[in-house]
Amino acid sequence: MSEQDFDWGAVANAWPHLLSGLGVTLQIAAITIVLSMILAVPVAVARMSAIEIVRWVAQLYIEIFRCTPMLVQLFWIYYALPALTGITIPGFASAVIALTANLTAFMAEAYRSGFQAVPVEQIEAGKMLRLSRFQQLRHIIVPQALRQQIPVILSLNISMFKDTALVSTIAVHDLMFQANTAATETYRSLEFFTTAAAVYFCIAFPVSLLTSYFERRGQLARTGRAPIIKPRKPELTGVKP
Amino acid sequence: MNLAPNLGTAEPGTPATTSLVSAVNLAKQFHGRKVLDGVDFDVAAGEVSVIIGKSGSGKSTLLRVIAGLEDPEEGDVTIDGVLVRSGGARTADWNHGAAKVGMVFQSYNLWPHMNVLDNLILAPRKILGLSAGEAEARAEKALAEVGMAEHIRSRSTQLSGGERQRVAIARALMMRPQVLLCDEITSALDPPVAAEVLGVLARLKQEEGLAVVLVTHDMAFASKAADRVIFFSNGRIAVDATPDEAFHHCENAELKAFVDAVRID
Repeated sequence: MSEQDFDWGAVANAWPHLLSGLGVTLQIAAITIVLSMILAVPVAVARMSAIEIVRWVAQLYIEIFRCTPMLVQLFWIYYALPALTGITIPGFASAVIALTANLTAFMAEAYRSGFQAVPVEQIEAGKMLRLSRFQQLRHIIVPQALRQQIPVILSLNISMFKDTALVSTIAVHDLMFQANTAATETYRSLEFFTTAAAVYFCIAFPVSLLTSYFERRGQLARTGRAPIIKPRKPELTGVKP
Repeated sequence: MNLAPNLGTAEPGTPATTSLVSAVNLAKQFHGRKVLDGVDFDVAAGEVSVIIGKSGSGKSTLLRVIAGLEDPEEGDVTIDGVLVRSGGARTADWNHGAAKVGMVFQSYNLWPHMNVLDNLILAPRKILGLSAGEAEARAEKALAEVGMAEHIRSRSTQLSGGERQRVAIARALMMRPQVLLCDEITSALDPPVAAEVLGVLARLKQEEGLAVVLVTHDMAFASKAADRVIFFSNGRIAVDATPDEAFHHCENAELKAFVDAVRID
C-alpha cells in the first residue's frame, strides 16, 4: 500500500470554486425536482388514460427514459439534438432538460402507483358529489397519492441529486466539475474526490433519513406496526436501480 | 301486492308522473351474465324503499345505474320529470338528474386526508359555489341532523364505523339530494350501531321528506320504516309490496326462504 501524504490545504484553497460548483449542483437539482414533480402528474394521468394512443405515448416516453442510461440521455440532448435541430442548447439547460425528462419518467410511475392505490370507492364518492375528473385528481387522488409515495419520491430525488454529477461531462461547472478540475490541477485526486463525496453525502444522507422516517410513519399509520426492513424492489416502487 | 316478475309502472318509456325517479327496462350484463334483466323501478318523493335479495341478484347494480356509476346496455331513467338516460345512454340533461341523487356506500368512502368539515364542504364549495361561511353553516346543520355536530373538526380516521357512516350521510345531504341511495350501508356495522344509522334515515324521511332507496338485510328496519319492500332475484324484481305483505302474506317461495334465512342469521 502506497504512502499518501494528505494536503487538505489544496482543498481549502479551492473551496470557493467548490462552493460555486455546489451552488450550480443545487440549482440544477432544485429546478429538476420542481419541474419533474409538476410534469409527472400529466404523464401519470396519460399513462392511465382510457384512450389507448395517449396511454401508449406516455408509456413509450417512460420506457425510453427508464431503459436508457442517464449519461446517454445527457449526451443526446447536448450533442445529438443540436445536430438534429440546428439549435445549440447551453450545457446548463441541456442538463436541466435531460435530468428533468429522466426524473419525470420515474416520478410518473411513482405517481401512477400512488393514484392506483387510492380506493376506487373514494373516487366514486367524489363522482356522486359531482366533482369533475380534475377536481377528483386535485382534491382526492393527488394529495393521498403524494402522501403515500413520499418515501419513493424522496428516494428518486436522492438518486437524481447524485446523478447531477454526470453533468460535469458536458462542461457544466457543478461540484463534480470543480472537484475534477482542482484535482487535475493539483494532482490531489484523493482529497478533492473525498471532499466531493463528503459534500454529496452530507446533503443526501439527511434526506435518506427523512425517507426512512416517512416509510416508518406510513407503515405505522397503515398497520399500527413498525416496518420489517427489506431491500426494496426497484421495479415495484419506481426507484431507479 | 304485485307478484309479477317486474314492477309494472306504465308502458315502457312512460314513467309514472308522481315518481321522483323512474327507471324503465334497465338491462345490464357483466361478463355475459344478466345482472339487470329488464328492470322497471320507480321511487316517489319522501318514500323509503328497501331492496332485499341474495348477493349478485342485481340490487346494488340497480342503485349504481341510477347513480350513474354504471352504464346499462338498455333502459330509460327519468329523474324529477326529466329523461336523463335513454336507451342506456346518458342524455344531455344528465346533470339535472345527477343533482337530485345522493349516494352512501357500504365502506363510507370518506376521504381520510381531510377532516369531517373538509369532507362535507368540498363539493358544495366547488360545485355549488358556496362561500366558506355558507358551506360551514350547511355542514353544521347536516351534521346536527345525523347527530355528529360535535365531530366537525375530527379527522375521519378517528371516528368509529357508525360515526363515519353518519358523516357519509351528512356529506351526501350537503348537496341537497331529493333521493338518497344507500348501498348496504349497515352491513359492516354492529347491530346497535346499524340501528342508529337506519334511525337517522327514518328521521330524514320524516323531517326532510327525503326519498330513500336502501339495499339492506336489516329486516327489522324494513318492516318498521319502509314504505315498500322490493325483492330482487336473478336481475329482476320478483316482489314489490308493503312490508306487511312482503313479510307476512307473501306467497313467493323464494322471498319466504330468503326472509327465513335472514331471520335465522
